[in-house]
Amino acid sequence: MKKALFKSKRPNEEMALQITSMADIFTILLVFLLKSYTTSAMTINPSAGVQLPNAQIGEANIDALKIEVSDSGVQIEGKSIATLTHFEFDKQDLQPNGSSLSLNGALEKERKRQVLIAQSNTDVKVDSKIIVVADQHVPYQTLKTVLASAALQGYTDFKLAVVRGE
Amino acid sequence: MNISGGAKDSQDFELNLASIIDCFTVLIAFMLASTAFISIGILDAGVAAAGATAADNSAPPPINISLELGKDKGISLKVTGKTTSNQSIVAKDGAWNMTEMTDKLQALHQQWPTVNAITLTADNSIEYKDVVLTMENVRKTIPVVLLGGF
Repeated sequence: MKKALFKSKRPNEEMALQITSMADIFTILLVFLLKSYTTSAMTINPSAGVQLPNAQIGEANIDALKIEVSDSGVQIEGKSIATLTHFEFDKQDLQPNGSSLSLNGALEKERKRQVLIAQSNTDVKVDSKIIVVADQHVPYQTLKTVLASAALQGYTDFKLAVVRGE
Repeated sequence: MNISGGAKDSQDFELNLASIIDCFTVLIAFMLASTAFISIGILDAGVAAAGATAADNSAPPPINISLELGKDKGISLKVTGKTTSNQSIVAKDGAWNMTEMTDKLQALHQQWPTVNAITLTADNSIEYKDVVLTMENVRKTIPVVLLGGF
């Protein structure tokens, strides 16, 4: 009897995987992921370390020029434009009107490019929208400099990127 | 007489689930890699700088409302135009007193319903998240928030 007991406890080497139930799980997972998959026109990918502020607002799909402000610098469409030290602009980069020299130059270039496209293609209009992707700890002083530079080049419709709350 | 016609004509077949699971695994891996699990929204803000174009309505508003966020988490609410006032909203439990601010803005909005814009400024050291928080609360009463101070 003792022998029989040990024999029955031995694991069965030929274990059949329940593929049907596994397929069920995978189908549910796939449906869930397809539901949460967004195919919006708005593609904002903040850089590593950038924490966007939270706000309870509705969904909006806007595509415009993106300006990102992080602890170490300012980027326009992913291209590094100005270097910041702990969210602060270099004093030599600051203009008497509160704007940034390097940002002014980069935004002016972007503006000229938009105007050229608009001139050659009547369907395209010069856009005053700009999406600000800024870290939640950015001081208002730095934000003012960025906004002043944008406003000087005609970007007056600010769209602030935030993480949508519950 | 055998109607089914034997094994050749049988409509019973076994689905090869192993290959389907292979496809699902690849699909799930792809979707997990490309799905954004944080939802990004957009908060509208205009510019209240000198020389900026005014809003659509050509008639000037009867009053101009401006909010200023202070270092000590105090809020200054200034009204100029047909009526003038300067109110201070002190911090509550070390945090911004958004409830009192909303109440005061609602009272102003009831008195002057045509006013649909407000100018928001802040001390240089105020963090962006506090500006966004204020904008979010102001927009419950007054839809257009213009950032100023530059």
